[in-house]
Amino acid sequence: MALINGVTIAIVLFGIGLLGLILRRDLVIKLLALGLVNGSTILCLVSLNARVDGVAPIVHSPASVPYVDPLPHALVLSAIVINFAILALALVFVMLLVERYHTTDSQRIEHEIEGERTP
Amino acid sequence: MRRSSRGIIITASVLVICFCALLVMMFDYHGAREEAGVTYITKGTIDTGAANLVSAIYLNYRLFDTLFELLVFSVAVLGVRFYLAQQRGNEEEVTRIPESQVIRTSADLLFPPILLLGIYLVLFGHLSPGGGFSGGTVAGTGLLLCAVALGADVVGRRFHEPTLERFEWEILLAILLLALIPVLFGRLPFTDLLPRGRLGSLASGGSILIYNALIGVKVFIGTWVIIHYFVRHRGEI
Repeated sequence: MALINGVTIAIVLFGIGLLGLILRRDLVIKLLALGLVNGSTILCLVSLNARVDGVAPIVHSPASVPYVDPLPHALVLSAIVINFAILALALVFVMLLVERYHTTDSQRIEHEIEGERTP
Repeated sequence: MRRSSRGIIITASVLVICFCALLVMMFDYHGAREEAGVTYITKGTIDTGAANLVSAIYLNYRLFDTLFELLVFSVAVLGVRFYLAQQRGNEEEVTRIPESQVIRTSADLLFPPILLLGIYLVLFGHLSPGGGFSGGTVAGTGLLLCAVALGADVVGRRFHEPTLERFEWEILLAILLLALIPVLFGRLPFTDLLPRGRLGSLASGGSILIYNALIGVKVFIGTWVIIHYFVRHRGEI
């Protein structure tokens, strides 16, 4: 199997997303990195399951067509919906923080919170 | 840049790169196996009556998972509503820029086909690609197009938003009750009791069609509620 396949690309994207999640200070970019991590998970699930001559698992005749395994696709569906839900909720929290501290920089927000705590 | 933050950056990069390299080496990946999912493929249509095996899995074999997926979605919609309704956004009236005739006319023209496509995806979810989630999102996007043309508040008033929001929770309740009905007949919950029709006909999937329709309406309302609260917070699209 070639070294460059869907799984390795997904792992590289996962690493990029994780690094963005840890290192970038902007909250919106952190959320974008979270979206990248989710996308890489979906890519991994789909490409683990891929076949060269595979057919989508929509069975109309019981012939011996090489259908792919439908289970990872059902998992991908859950992953997409939950990612959408998490992103919407996280964006609301970012909006609340921006309304209060007027910045999307996570370190500045933390400094301001510490300043509030020890007057 | 301070010294400590540079140390953190280097440490995090090294850790993440090592982790990813380990994952790449661990994956002894040689393509999907021939026998993967063969049980679902050979028995799925007989067990569930659905041609689309993906919806057969998430609405029949693993309906329990889908229920919790729906709960996560509902909680997210509730969170968006709760936190954005707490703080009033731009109270002062935002002067609307009158939308051009092109957008209004094209929204009028496009909204019925988009809604029809959404309904088709919901109703034929067990026979062809589609299903409640994708169909609901398609219809919700059509509503977004209307909101762009007419203004979100106008569309919200036209669709009686408080009723819609209550309806969304009633649908969740209906799905729960529907899943519990087999208990009355002495079966396990989440069992499908409806008869299977001829494969390929609209009524073939048993209760998959009902679940798809309920999920479709729920996702449609949820998408619209999320869009509308974001828009209301900002003032106008």
